[in-house]
Amino acid sequence: MTISVISYGIYIPFLRIKREEYISALGSCSAAFKEKAVMDIDEDTITMAVEAARDAVAGVDKSRIGVLALASTNFPYREKVAAGTVIEALGLSNNILTCQHGNSTLAGTEAILSAIGLLSLTDQKYALVVVADAPASGASVDMEHGFGAAACAFILAKDEPGLEFEGVYAYAAESMGIRYGLPGETDLRDIGVKTYSNLAYNDTVRASVRGLLDKLGRKPGDYRHVILHQYDAKDASGLAKKLGFGEEQINAGLVFAKLGDTGACSTLVGLCNVLDNASPGDNMIICSYGSGAGSHALSFKLTGQPPKPRNSLKSLLERKKYIGYVQYLKLKRNI
Amino acid sequence: MGAHISIPMYQRAVPQRYRLIGQRCLKCGRVNFPPKAVCKYCLTGSEFENVQLSGRGTIYSYTIIAGGGAPPEFAEDARCKGSYPVVLVELEEGPRIIAQLVNPPGEGISIGMPVEAVFRRIYEEEGVIRYGFKFRLV
Repeated sequence: MTISVISYGIYIPFLRIKREEYISALGSCSAAFKEKAVMDIDEDTITMAVEAARDAVAGVDKSRIGVLALASTNFPYREKVAAGTVIEALGLSNNILTCQHGNSTLAGTEAILSAIGLLSLTDQKYALVVVADAPASGASVDMEHGFGAAACAFILAKDEPGLEFEGVYAYAAESMGIRYGLPGETDLRDIGVKTYSNLAYNDTVRASVRGLLDKLGRKPGDYRHVILHQYDAKDASGLAKKLGFGEEQINAGLVFAKLGDTGACSTLVGLCNVLDNASPGDNMIICSYGSGAGSHALSFKLTGQPPKPRNSLKSLLERKKYIGYVQYLKLKRNI
Repeated sequence: MGAHISIPMYQRAVPQRYRLIGQRCLKCGRVNFPPKAVCKYCLTGSEFENVQLSGRGTIYSYTIIAGGGAPPEFAEDARCKGSYPVVLVELEEGPRIIAQLVNPPGEGISIGMPVEAVFRRIYEEEGVIRYGFKFRLV
């Protein structure tokens, strides 16, 4: 049985804040984005998830969706079956295998892998994966400067042409003190040593990417695109170059500068941007990362025509309204 | 609290609030939204079939809520934004419904503008998020 992505949807909130707003308000900005997306006061990761999923399921027989995998590091409820809200909003079957992944930015690819596994447990043809994230922390935490928002949704199908899943390699090991949250605290913590977090990111992501290339007997040059998790502007492209990928393979997957750190969505929004411009036969390796630390490298190949989204990432990036830093704090309910 | 809607009442309306399920009168064929016990058009039909509304329509009329005019459940939104627009939308299928307009255009709203439904948090009460529809310009 093959599993392929046959449809996808993206959602980017309408509001944006530029990096200059941080500099003018705070004197500095710890993240090197140009602008980032900001949820409106009546949005959360579930409303974003529904918007992305509505686009992904348009044109698909919803009654044949047997799996719903959700992921976010910032669900609006700490305990609740969030899938229930999404099922009702989309009008999906109530007899559906669901799973929710969170707790680290690895959640996005965890949801994809879970959906692939759960598809073998259902007679239905399709799985819906929805990854919606807006990492959050108090405004006094430097890490918060980079936090953006986005959602993407994918329909995975059994035995249909599309973006075919070719394999995965996973790596996890203890990695202390980098981007973690304690129960009951709204701020995220980090020991704040950039060199140390870069090292952890590089070691963890490198292990999965190299592992997958070895497993599939391939070289970096065999791929058209590489998309690595982006929690800042430079780490992903820096590491991809060290791994032997060239700029033409890296650039289409870089989205941090326009969206900020989209957490569990990071790699997958990059994948959507690549798919928006893909041609039959294109292949790509994606690698997610979660601090603490783990990574998943997945390989895909486009068999047949690329799925066409209702809204391309490019068109969504053009629909926007800029806000100032004080308005941003109001939206985050900091003031 | 202004328009208190209990959790069980809200729960019963989830299909219409989350995904715009309307009802077609089996007697006169017109579409009711929100659902009614008796058709609001022919005033006699009481049997219906569910229909999925498209969420697309045009602005029939609108108003701007500002200056403390917001009901208590929307007071937080109003405080954050200063004001917010409420639109009366005529849906493709016929019904006219009231909801907020998100991302209002800088140049102002005008009657006849095409809109589509979006899924948003409407308000929060008793610690429970009440999701539902608003509209945005197409």
